[in-house]
Amino acid sequence: MPLNLTTLSQQVRQMSGALVHSAEDMMVRTAQVRERYVRESGAEAQWMRVVDLSRETSAWLLARPVEPLHTTRIAPACPPAYALVATDGSQIDVDRHGTAYCYLINIGRVYMRYGPQATACLTSQPALYYQEDDLYLTDGTRRVAIEGNYLSARRDAEEGIALAALADEFLHDDLPALAMQDGTLVRWTLSGAEQFVQEHFLGQYLFYLEHMRQRNIPVVSYISRPRAPEVVGTIRLMYCPDVDLKAGRGARCNECSDVQAGRAPSCSICQGLVDTDVLAAQLTEGQRGPIFVSMSRINVERYGPHLIHFFYLRVGRELARVEMPRWVAQDAAQVDLVHSLVYDQCIKGQGYPVALARAHEQAIVRSSDRRAFQRMIESSLQRAELPAVFSHKHESKEFMRG
Amino acid sequence: MERTRIAEVIESSTTRFTAGAYELLVAPPFGALVRAQTRVEGLAVYGLVYEIRTGSKEPGGRAVVRGRTYTGRELYDAEIYHEHPDLAEVLQTEFSAITVGFVVNGQVYQYLPPHPPPVHYSVYQCDQDELARFSMACDFFRAVLFAHQIPSDELLAATIRAAAQARTDSRAYLVHAGREVASLLKDDYDRLSAFLRRIRPL
Repeated sequence: MPLNLTTLSQQVRQMSGALVHSAEDMMVRTAQVRERYVRESGAEAQWMRVVDLSRETSAWLLARPVEPLHTTRIAPACPPAYALVATDGSQIDVDRHGTAYCYLINIGRVYMRYGPQATACLTSQPALYYQEDDLYLTDGTRRVAIEGNYLSARRDAEEGIALAALADEFLHDDLPALAMQDGTLVRWTLSGAEQFVQEHFLGQYLFYLEHMRQRNIPVVSYISRPRAPEVVGTIRLMYCPDVDLKAGRGARCNECSDVQAGRAPSCSICQGLVDTDVLAAQLTEGQRGPIFVSMSRINVERYGPHLIHFFYLRVGRELARVEMPRWVAQDAAQVDLVHSLVYDQCIKGQGYPVALARAHEQAIVRSSDRRAFQRMIESSLQRAELPAVFSHKHESKEFMRG
Repeated sequence: MERTRIAEVIESSTTRFTAGAYELLVAPPFGALVRAQTRVEGLAVYGLVYEIRTGSKEPGGRAVVRGRTYTGRELYDAEIYHEHPDLAEVLQTEFSAITVGFVVNGQVYQYLPPHPPPVHYSVYQCDQDELARFSMACDFFRAVLFAHQIPSDELLAATIRAAAQARTDSRAYLVHAGREVASLLKDDYDRLSAFLRRIRPL
């Protein structure tokens, strides 16, 4: 038996037991942290400066508040007619053990229009990449293979490019419009990448955001059940004994005075909490919380006018995270539009934006598709009288040998 | 002949074919005569619609209830389609037809064609004239009555009623068709009487 379920079930029971044990502790700490967060509302200007001071030296992800911390806005009425475009992508990564060195990106494309002339267009666009330029990025001396994280980065860029193309194709009239992506707009995957790789993909991505900015079509991304601890990172600063705004000093986690005194850091009350734990209590159905700026390094240093902002939105039992570039976040009318349209999409999709669900359905590559793709490559290579052989490892995994 | 195609063949065999409708929820009625184009110019296959279904395009996919929205708003019938324009893209209406004959350059034959209509070829709904012309002979009655796994009596009765309406002498046609069916079902009184009740002139 490949997966020993008997052994596993004991471990699953132990895990449940441990979770029960920690749940009570989490609840108590969440209440305390939330209380502290609410108490600080009104002092946003101060915490904005502290966040900026601590950005380089804090060990935690941070979020800079743009609106009062206790902000709650109900969803504005949805316009009677609107249009939106959305994309989602999936990929088949390079298979080292397969027959040909190539990868595939499939982009699901969605256009929907609501109101008197309601219509929808759902398509998918696969692209096969196999040429030297597709498989490697080079800066003259170094050569980096596009696979794994870098392939995800290419997919993200392709999703953005496809979204801009969709907007050009469909969004022309004066109807309120929105461009929507799944996941985050902050390209974390590139933060540790080599400079020229980052330059390449981020350049494409920012170019797409700039295109949308010029067309004044708000771009948002939607994250269901986010686990980000950025607002919590800012709350950590509220507990930090080393923060001294008058002296111009932010948190310096490497020189934590609590640790030096042999105590647990004061901010450890926030351990394991995420933003949604803290904000959940203040938001009722359809309401959004305050807007924050994500202070991740790549966002602050590279996004320029597209600096990614976000807010949390209550949709049923969960808080979703909605991200948008600065040019959307600074325009109150655009923020209201984004808020109402994203929430309307969630209502239509019974808890998750219907446009993203449709884009995902179009993009998904199932295991049967994957097998069909492999067979297509094999037979095509054979017809071209090229060698189509798998590695020994691939063959050995095909079936269990007696 | 009517030139507006309504559907496209998506599954085909010698004795029956299935077509996907171009417009969601728009299919010819049960018992309607439809014509599927073949690769031979002037040769088209006739079928009688015996099943109409609408469901997810995705194999194994199912529709979900949408009449009560997430926020408790009630939506009824066509409102649901208007509120969700994407449904027209993910749902599909299909109909299946049993093959009852074919036409070659205007000449109608009421037996199976040499080849089934090819997949992706056009399907048209026959107008009243074409139905009247096709139903002049009753040779297809036997093929329908003794076909398996379809509601054969209901199907033939529906077609006979439609064919009667397609001509001015409706009553005479119903009597004539009833006699034909009586000769085919002479061994089964119960089935015949049930059938005749279905085509009784009003």
